[in-house]
Amino acid sequence: MDIVVLVKQVPDTESLVQIAGDGVSIKKDDIKWIMNPYDELAVEEALRIKEAKGGTVTVLSVGAQKAQETIRTALAMGADKGLLVNDPAAEGGDALATARILAAAVKNLPFDLIIAGQRAVDEDNYQVGAAVAEFLGIPHVSLVSKAELLEGRIRCQRAVEGGSVTVEAPLPALFTTQRGLNEPRYASLPGIMKAKKKPLEVKTVAALGLDPARVGAAGRKVVVKALRLPPERKAVRMIAGETPAAIAAELVRVLHEEARLI
Amino acid sequence: MQREQLEFDVLFVGAGPANLAGAIHLKKLAQQNGREIEVAVIEKAESIGAHSLSGAVLDPRALRELLPDFRERDCPIEETDLRDAVFYLTAGGQFRLPYVPPYMHNEGCFIISLSKFCAWLGSIAEELGVNVFPGFAGVEALYDESGRRVIGVRTGDKGINKEGKPKSNFEPGVDLLAKVTVFGEGPKGSLIREVGNKLGIFTGRMPQVFETAIKEVIEIPASNPFLNAPFTVVHTFGYPLGLNTRGGGFLYRMKANRVSLGLVVGLDYEDALLEPYQEFLRFKKHPLIADIIGGGKVLQQGAKTLAAGGWYTLPQLAVDGAVFVGDSASMLNVQRLKGIHTAMKSGMLAAETILAAVTKDDVRASVLDDYRVRLEGSWIQGELYAARNFGQALSRKGVAKFIALGAQFVSGGRGFVDPMKISDDADSLKPGRGAPPPPVQDLDGQLYLDKLTGVYLSGTKHEEDQPCHLVIPDANLCVTRCWETFRSPCTRFCPGQVYEMDTTDEGLPRLKLNPSNCLHCKTCEIKDPFKNIIWTCPEGGGGPKYSIV
Repeated sequence: MDIVVLVKQVPDTESLVQIAGDGVSIKKDDIKWIMNPYDELAVEEALRIKEAKGGTVTVLSVGAQKAQETIRTALAMGADKGLLVNDPAAEGGDALATARILAAAVKNLPFDLIIAGQRAVDEDNYQVGAAVAEFLGIPHVSLVSKAELLEGRIRCQRAVEGGSVTVEAPLPALFTTQRGLNEPRYASLPGIMKAKKKPLEVKTVAALGLDPARVGAAGRKVVVKALRLPPERKAVRMIAGETPAAIAAELVRVLHEEARLI
Repeated sequence: MQREQLEFDVLFVGAGPANLAGAIHLKKLAQQNGREIEVAVIEKAESIGAHSLSGAVLDPRALRELLPDFRERDCPIEETDLRDAVFYLTAGGQFRLPYVPPYMHNEGCFIISLSKFCAWLGSIAEELGVNVFPGFAGVEALYDESGRRVIGVRTGDKGINKEGKPKSNFEPGVDLLAKVTVFGEGPKGSLIREVGNKLGIFTGRMPQVFETAIKEVIEIPASNPFLNAPFTVVHTFGYPLGLNTRGGGFLYRMKANRVSLGLVVGLDYEDALLEPYQEFLRFKKHPLIADIIGGGKVLQQGAKTLAAGGWYTLPQLAVDGAVFVGDSASMLNVQRLKGIHTAMKSGMLAAETILAAVTKDDVRASVLDDYRVRLEGSWIQGELYAARNFGQALSRKGVAKFIALGAQFVSGGRGFVDPMKISDDADSLKPGRGAPPPPVQDLDGQLYLDKLTGVYLSGTKHEEDQPCHLVIPDANLCVTRCWETFRSPCTRFCPGQVYEMDTTDEGLPRLKLNPSNCLHCKTCEIKDPFKNIIWTCPEGGGGPKYSIV
């Protein structure tokens, strides 16, 4: 079973996120970068399948040199090899342009299964996984909370309103992760040492046989017009009172008269 | 349980300026001598620099010795134009000292963010081939069969739930073995506490004393006059702490319309009702400061203690298989309000000793003691010895402080009594009566923050489902003697609101802990009057995520 995992390096949401002067991007100087949390689920799931069925796990990313850190993290968790598409021409793409690169990179790799995060927490597009499957002409199952490998097929459970639905797709297929799929493992210290020696290949867009005009900023069809921070949270107000009953009564009064919620 | 073992020549515990400088220096020396040496650095923070916080004015002396080309290597420097002003503050006014004491001259120094600086040092260490492991906490020192020689450190288990049971992602800690282990845990390390007591490195020394600093980086409007003021480095004393509590304020100009602002409070304070965070807010509301930061917005907040005891609190610096550097070894020069350069230098001196010891394959304390000899022959000795009684003088009340300081000034640090006595911070509290003064009002959530908003802006996060890392051996003491005598000072001295008094369902008072808020400053372990709080390392990767403080 050869598995490809798509990962993205994203700003840590605990970082100080500030909008840059251009109004359409964020300041990157003081940001900490991490593996997209949904991609951690994808790496973990791939490793569990590999441990059960054998095979290889290849980690694929598009990003700057720094994104190698994220691939190394996946290698430290236990993945076998990494591939980074690092090319100025690949930068600034929308979901579709990025998916085009990923699909082209996957084509050169042996794969039975592709696992991706449901979305990257920086841009929240939910599109890349589906688009990669479309480019490759393979089935795509989104937001999977349980995956089970059968003979030549994958069975996935997805949460839907009020319940769950089970679907199956023939391999090769691509699925994206939902919270609850697993608990990602920690990169162990020996794992980090071993990861340093695992292969991590870096490729350009041209090496993938892609037209630079169709990827990255040039290939973008969706254009960001403005970026705004969410409204500042108001300070929490603590309701005080002598007894629990008095506090409850005051809470009801505030909810009714001031917040007008009840 | 069988634990995996990894072997190195030298293991540095903690990635602060002392250990990073030590690791870099060691690698460079080994290269110059054509020697292969395996070096590892572990750090409990999720990334290098994320638990590093300081003012910070950097005296570049050690940096120049370590990396003469630091400029070409894009060392993150915030400000090179340092012009000092010292103010004495009263409740509503200020008086600028016409004369800045020589030890407070900062010309030729740099303003830096220590978290950025450490991240930078970390990347250089990695380039040199040091194995840098952020996200791994050392939880236990390892000894050989004799129990006297340190042979490494065990890292903490990960994936343990609140009840202490392994979760599905359980990852056991590993045993990192090294010929020499270097402890550079910063002030109040949790491993040096154990190693030190077991091997007696503090015996015969004065007790270490500490100060807690609360700091913010504030973005101010580009039109703010401070950005063009005749001074860029402000130090204050007096209000809000007064002359009977040691400490003071600082305000430094940084790049990109930012300022670094902080208040340092000596933890030998006596008033059980004092709350350092409230004093910090009062300091910010003082007209001198409020004018400078007006219209600003806090970008990041944090808190950390510093070891202020100085020369007479230096521990024994070497034991069999291990040495102690930086704040862990009391290298800070409290007179100059600086410890980064001395920390770095101590790490570098230790590295020189270690390379020789590892080469000879003899790491006994008697051999590693060469580090102390080097230290005593270095400029660290000159600085620390001259300031040997300075902190003690600062702890004197009122006018006595200035008399003691004056006497030291004219006598090269000797003063009237040498050494002046130092007492444990945990013993200084006087019983608290009545209610604490009313808290500072008009917090706007932008420039003036409550504690929890501050914790939010420190980026602090811990895995929620893990055992509580704050150990309270006697919970009953909290609601009886501690409350009766001191009115639960932990609820005030902690800048992260980790400690709260609560009532149980039966209506009884109870101490409630919010360990997830912990900023890892360790004020609690230092200041608790009953020494009833023991700080242990939470799961590696947890804690603040400082990036600009």
